[in-house]
Amino acid sequence: MKLPVYGKTDYINHFEIVIMQQWNDIVNTAMLGTEKKVPDFNAVPQNIVQPLQLIQQNQQLDKEEKYLQAAALIYNYQVCGAVPFKKENLIIAPAPAEEKPYCNKEALQVLNDILSEENIPLLAFWLQHCAAAGHIIHPELVHRLLQLGAEQKKLQTLITACCGNRGKWLAGFNEAWNFSMQQSTEETWQTGTPEQRRNILTATRKHNPVLAVDWLQQTWPQEDAATKTTFLEILQTNISAADIEFLELLATEKSKKVKELALDLLKNIPQSAVVQQYESLLAQTVQLKKEKALLGLSTKTVLLLQLPQVPDAVFNSGIEKLSSTKEFTDDEYIIYQLAMYVPPTFWQQQLNTTAEGVIKLLQDDAVGKKILPALVLAVKRFNNNEWAAALLQHSKIFYLDIMAMLPPQQQNDYSIRFFEGHEDTIIQNALNFTSEWSTTLTQKIFTYTAKNAYQYNRSFYSQHIHLIPMQAIAVLEKCMPSEAYQQSVWAGTSEYITKLISLKTQTITAFQP
Amino acid sequence: MQLTEEQILTLAPDEASKKAGKDLANAAKWVTKGVNQQALWGECQGSGSKPYQTQIDVLDMAFKCSCPSRKFPCKHGLGLLLLHTRQKQLFIDSAAPQWVTDWLEKRTEKQEKKAAKEDKPVDEVAQAKRQQARSLKVSDGVEELRLWVKDIVRNGIIAMPEKGFTFFENMAKRMIDAQAPGLANMVRTLGDTNFFVEGWQTTFLKQLLHIYIVTEGFRNSSQINDALQQDVKTWIGFTQNQDELKEQEGTTDTWMVLAKQLFEQDNITTERYWLYGVNTKQYALVLQFIVRGALAANHLNITAGQFIQAALVYYPGSMPLRAIIKKQISTTPVTIHANYSNWLQVAAAQTTVAAALPVQSDRAYLIKQLKPVQYNKQWWLQDADSNMMLLKNEQRYIWKLLALSAGHALDMVVIGNEAVYEAAGVWQNGLYKPL
Repeated sequence: MKLPVYGKTDYINHFEIVIMQQWNDIVNTAMLGTEKKVPDFNAVPQNIVQPLQLIQQNQQLDKEEKYLQAAALIYNYQVCGAVPFKKENLIIAPAPAEEKPYCNKEALQVLNDILSEENIPLLAFWLQHCAAAGHIIHPELVHRLLQLGAEQKKLQTLITACCGNRGKWLAGFNEAWNFSMQQSTEETWQTGTPEQRRNILTATRKHNPVLAVDWLQQTWPQEDAATKTTFLEILQTNISAADIEFLELLATEKSKKVKELALDLLKNIPQSAVVQQYESLLAQTVQLKKEKALLGLSTKTVLLLQLPQVPDAVFNSGIEKLSSTKEFTDDEYIIYQLAMYVPPTFWQQQLNTTAEGVIKLLQDDAVGKKILPALVLAVKRFNNNEWAAALLQHSKIFYLDIMAMLPPQQQNDYSIRFFEGHEDTIIQNALNFTSEWSTTLTQKIFTYTAKNAYQYNRSFYSQHIHLIPMQAIAVLEKCMPSEAYQQSVWAGTSEYITKLISLKTQTITAFQP
Repeated sequence: MQLTEEQILTLAPDEASKKAGKDLANAAKWVTKGVNQQALWGECQGSGSKPYQTQIDVLDMAFKCSCPSRKFPCKHGLGLLLLHTRQKQLFIDSAAPQWVTDWLEKRTEKQEKKAAKEDKPVDEVAQAKRQQARSLKVSDGVEELRLWVKDIVRNGIIAMPEKGFTFFENMAKRMIDAQAPGLANMVRTLGDTNFFVEGWQTTFLKQLLHIYIVTEGFRNSSQINDALQQDVKTWIGFTQNQDELKEQEGTTDTWMVLAKQLFEQDNITTERYWLYGVNTKQYALVLQFIVRGALAANHLNITAGQFIQAALVYYPGSMPLRAIIKKQISTTPVTIHANYSNWLQVAAAQTTVAAALPVQSDRAYLIKQLKPVQYNKQWWLQDADSNMMLLKNEQRYIWKLLALSAGHALDMVVIGNEAVYEAAGVWQNGLYKPL
């Protein structure tokens, strides 16, 4: 009869086969109980035959004790004779040697402090400096960073760079860390997880928009509707006339959502048929006319917005026929929608004037005023930075939506200019800055947030420390609220901000050559 | 004092103290600071009107602070130590202020008094009575436990997974009543067997045999040697008078703290410090118990990787391992060499131990050139001869171990017995890295 094996055969197979079988019999007896089974000691090694006989012949012992003593003897014999398990040819290919130097002791200490603060923005800041310096982290922290990379997708590229060859090697043992493995982008696109494919398509669309569309076309028939929608959204980045052919083919898609999304993307391309159609209709709508002014002593040029007959094709492309709001007549609402999808430069050509001139004409006209917000949306849609700057400069209304399109310095300046009265919206926009706030803007933000400590608590500063400049330490005192109950909170917050800024400073110092 | 930042942080009682200590490792927070051969001190401006006076006996690694914190060491002590490690050059004052010298003097006086303290006259009759009463209780308990073990063996262990917690806990409580806490723990360990893994039968049976062997040893005390008698008494739970132990000369050496392990049960935290004597090449296990997080003022403050010059007194036994530290002085690291070349040597050492001690427990080993390898979806440590032992609790440290090894063999400290070991630390480029 073949005995069942209880325990890890891997590490008991070094025992003599006899003793192993004997031990299995001991365990089998224990399982069933001495009431039902008597252990068989006939095959025990010679060394323990005599002591076993002594136990078995002892008349003072009942059968349970005889079993327990024999089992204890065999167990001890096993332990005393144990040798390690031998297995040859188990090879783990060693990690390749590092090509970059390790970061210095100071940098390592700051990294440890940042990790214990669990501050992701500061960690990103540290990793950026480490990567920029061409350094890598010490091996004992590699696993911690890889684990963080698995949780913080945005840090993956930096973590991969800073973990060096050791990181790539270690990631080979843990699937969750495979973001660190070197895999060709096309391979990832073809074989990766949905998330990896989305990430790789996003990255490729940024650097090589045509290739991204090529990839999409290759796998398009195999994708389901939800995936198609996800991937189409990525095409918003760097959209151009080169995408028209692919997007127009999608008019025959089964999924309504995919079709609508493709059409919406086409509305972002000035050369697309749909935008051309809107532009042509708007060209017939928008005209200038001369009007007498100052009791007929002079003339002035005013805007005339008169909608001609609208072809059905325009309505079929998503333009609503009827206004849903009292402020707009049906015609005004159609013009408003057309203006949303036509590049702002159309207005300059049509009215033969500058952006400032267009804005003035629209602002001076009762209907034009209503159309101006559509122009703001078009500026955003077609990503026209010049128009964004013009609107912020010449419009009587502050349009936060388009501020994000401006270069960092201008955004910073407009944030300062429009801060009062728009504090929360300006702060929300400032959180998306890609570079640090100016000291003046920081002071304005601190002065406001210090008074609103419940809304802007420590976590706010912790999450956005990468935007706070080091010079901010000098203005902390000046931002002290006047209310006594807010002062103690701000004192604590100031100390916290100082600590975070100190970690930033230490990071910069540690990576200085 | 040669503690690294990592080592200092392991002294912290909790995560919050670590964080707060790091915040205080800032020169701007300290009004005064100084260091000499005996002590490290500083005054930290806290929320009170007067700065807190923080002082550390660097030879004996003891802390004192005037802050009201009940944590030990407090954040000020940790912050001061960290600051000293980071920026030694800031500690230019070497003349200890009065409050530091007073404290050091008091400490010395206290130690001298303790040493000179005469034992109270012992009422020998009462003591003998107490011992006899306990002995009787233990005997009764041992007999009850033997019956319980025999019942299990008679009926079979197949039904054990369904028995539940109370089956084992009731017997553990009976052993507590019988003043045999060691046996109670062994019963609890038996009940803690993981019945959901393959091979639980062997684990369960081995523990059951351990219990039986101890009861058998107690019954036959008169027939075994003195050392083994002591082992049996320890397993049963008889305590050793530490003052008596401290009267012994002990083994003086430079000891390296190889590892610190923490175990928690019923509000009691057990700290297990594994030490290795650099010259004597002896291993020692120092235990420290913390009840409900309350640390005693004489709390042992040592950390893995640290070297201490100390006299250790071993508890009596046939293969002495557990010890107490009589007196310790922090000292500088020295180079040490692994004293086992491969797993075969460890197996031979295990045989020596098992031949003398029938009840197995974990021991530490310093082994040359082991590397982690994967086999059958499990992690093992393999030596140069391709012999290997299984790693346990590896989920806690395997990634760090792999990252440090990079697939190469490293000198290593392992703790375990039979065929399963936990990696506790490695040497990388001559530096010890606890895992």
